[in-house]
Amino acid sequence: MATLIKSTSLDFNTIKTRLKDDLKKQAEFKDYDFEGSGLSNILDVLAYNTHLNGLTANFALNESFLNTAQLRSSVVSHAEALGYVPRSFTASQALLNLSVLITDANRPTSVTLPVGTSFTSTVAGISYTFRTLEAFTGVDDGNGLYVFKTKTDSNQIPVFEGTQKTKTFIIGETSDSQIYVIPDTTADINSLNVKVFETVGGSTFESYTDLRKAIRIESTSKHFQIKEVPSGTYELLFGDGKSTGKRPVAGNKVVVTYLSVVGATADGASAFTPSSQLTVDGSQYTINVVTDTVSAGGSFKESIESIRQNAPIYFASQQRLVTAEDYKAQILANFSAFLDDVIAWGGNDNVPVEYGNVYVGLKFKSGLSEATQSDVKTQIVNELTDNLAIMSISTEFVDPVETFLELQTFFNFDPDLTNTTARATENLVETTIQNFFATNLNKFGQVFRRSAILSQIDDLDVAILNSRMTVKAQQRITPITGQSLSYDINFPMAIATPDDVNRIVTSGRFVFNSRTCFIRNKLSSLKLEMVDIDGNVQVDNIGSYETGTGKVSLVGFNPTTIEGGSTLKISVTPNNESTIRPLRNFTLDLDTDALVATAQIDFQNTQLTL
Amino acid sequence: MPLRAFSIEDGNLNTKSVSVARSRAYSDIDLTFAKKANNDVFKKNDAGAVKQSVKNILMTNFTEKPFVPGYGGNLSALLFALDTDVEEDDIIQQVVTAIEAYEPRADVLSVKVRELPEQHDLRITVTFRILSTNVIESVDLNLTRLR
Repeated sequence: MATLIKSTSLDFNTIKTRLKDDLKKQAEFKDYDFEGSGLSNILDVLAYNTHLNGLTANFALNESFLNTAQLRSSVVSHAEALGYVPRSFTASQALLNLSVLITDANRPTSVTLPVGTSFTSTVAGISYTFRTLEAFTGVDDGNGLYVFKTKTDSNQIPVFEGTQKTKTFIIGETSDSQIYVIPDTTADINSLNVKVFETVGGSTFESYTDLRKAIRIESTSKHFQIKEVPSGTYELLFGDGKSTGKRPVAGNKVVVTYLSVVGATADGASAFTPSSQLTVDGSQYTINVVTDTVSAGGSFKESIESIRQNAPIYFASQQRLVTAEDYKAQILANFSAFLDDVIAWGGNDNVPVEYGNVYVGLKFKSGLSEATQSDVKTQIVNELTDNLAIMSISTEFVDPVETFLELQTFFNFDPDLTNTTARATENLVETTIQNFFATNLNKFGQVFRRSAILSQIDDLDVAILNSRMTVKAQQRITPITGQSLSYDINFPMAIATPDDVNRIVTSGRFVFNSRTCFIRNKLSSLKLEMVDIDGNVQVDNIGSYETGTGKVSLVGFNPTTIEGGSTLKISVTPNNESTIRPLRNFTLDLDTDALVATAQIDFQNTQLTL
Repeated sequence: MPLRAFSIEDGNLNTKSVSVARSRAYSDIDLTFAKKANNDVFKKNDAGAVKQSVKNILMTNFTEKPFVPGYGGNLSALLFALDTDVEEDDIIQQVVTAIEAYEPRADVLSVKVRELPEQHDLRITVTFRILSTNVIESVDLNLTRLR
């Protein structure tokens, strides 16, 4: 978090008052107190100068540290010192199924879809252009249909939003110390393609790759380095020809191509139209487009706060995957356009224990298709874990498990203190709780603290005199109907011990033996029973729960149908309602259906009787 | 021989008043920064100091003084206003308000305004009394657009 500069100690009026105090000690000039006097004007200049110098010194000192810098250029510069390259604009990506139909008898056996084939799509009334970044080949299926496929034989062709731009540089003498400027603030640096030609007119070239993806660097390694500069544009650097990779020599020509993109605003494009027809042997053919995955993954430049948070973590990981935090840092640094959050833990911390594995939980941004999510996981393995992780340690991806919280809030409300009604305040409390979850929870490792919400509720209105909240945790399962099966439901916290008043475990309703039933624990017991809505026990022992491990087990559960769909909610009272700390891949979310806020009218009169 | 004193109620009017006004000399630095023979700056004293102050106030435009945006007579701004928008009464009011707000030593007696629109010229004479000495002073301001 940025430290806000307090300029009160450098306040102009304070400084001027001090100068006046000093002038009071002399008798030569006495008019310093009159605003129109010449002396007052001189004091203005002195105080203003001191004020500005003080502020400037304060600003300069703040900009000197990553934690306190306010300017993006300063934060980026500090991050660069830690070897961290902040994320640039990122192109929105869609997956399309593309084909052409050629019925000509003399048709070729295969057809190539060239690099840069473009498609237009509209999002919120604005048209965007998407294009291919590599060539794809389609083979005749015997009927003249050519379905374009990737190198991995997938028919999901990636297209990226953006305008293809090219910059050409001629390498100068070493003594010139040239820096190659890409004057584009919206460049997607991941789309950068750098070719170094031997001569200006030659056609033979060498491709240079991004230094960030380098596994080892030698004097002949062909890498480029891209960095953001204070103006928000980018500069390209090459190695020194010795320790930091090959350096192009004088007379070489460098051709840089990249996408200039609009970022996340192009996400959500679903209908694509080819900008032109495909030319095959001089004839034009229409490209058939079926959208496989709507566009997603576009992002704007990494924010200052994000850089501030990620750069030190990235530095600590030292481009190696050793600790759980290393996994988090490296994955976020490379795939944050697709991910909201990452968590990792070793197999020794897993339940059950699995030595030799690292478990990685990925919380994808909403709207990403299964195909994109799968692609990201493959890239993480290919580009990161296979190269940077310790040998013989394999990576296992686990999906996030959402634990829902059912919150019932009661607050004493004095209508005499406000113009708003109790009902309106109840709505306000519910909205506040929803906002609290959106801001503070929903990510890995984020802890629910009841008092933090209640203090916000107490501050909402003076008419709210006090508040309290009951908390239940809820997991959702999708039972298979018509089959008698066992289910284990794990909660990320300890469950309360049974008592003789309250039911600790309850479930949603379902139909069993033609009766609407639900599950609950027996009073003062860990055993679970199935009862109908009239309270008649249908199954005396349908399972049990464990307090310490937070596990609820259903045995021989065979519902006919689930009320309201296919998902059954299992709710438990946590052992500690004040703090719920999700473990491993658990995240906490709010069950808005179970969110209740109730005002209890309290005129603060002293009652004579109970 | 003891001095016999009568009470005020008995008609003694010679008793000295217990409340006295402390006369204060005004001294300010001369903003022309002309130097004396000994290289020191000149001082403005008493009426001269107040006169300089009044002139400073009137010649300052709004927002020119740091952190006091409403300070000043804002007269120079009038030179860039349309002639038809400038009313003599408004100028007088502007001058009186500024001096009352920022120069407690002066009591404005009269403000005379003479507009010469053809020459882009505004001439203002402010006559005021210095409260501590009852000296009457006047400040002439001649505002002309240079271009």
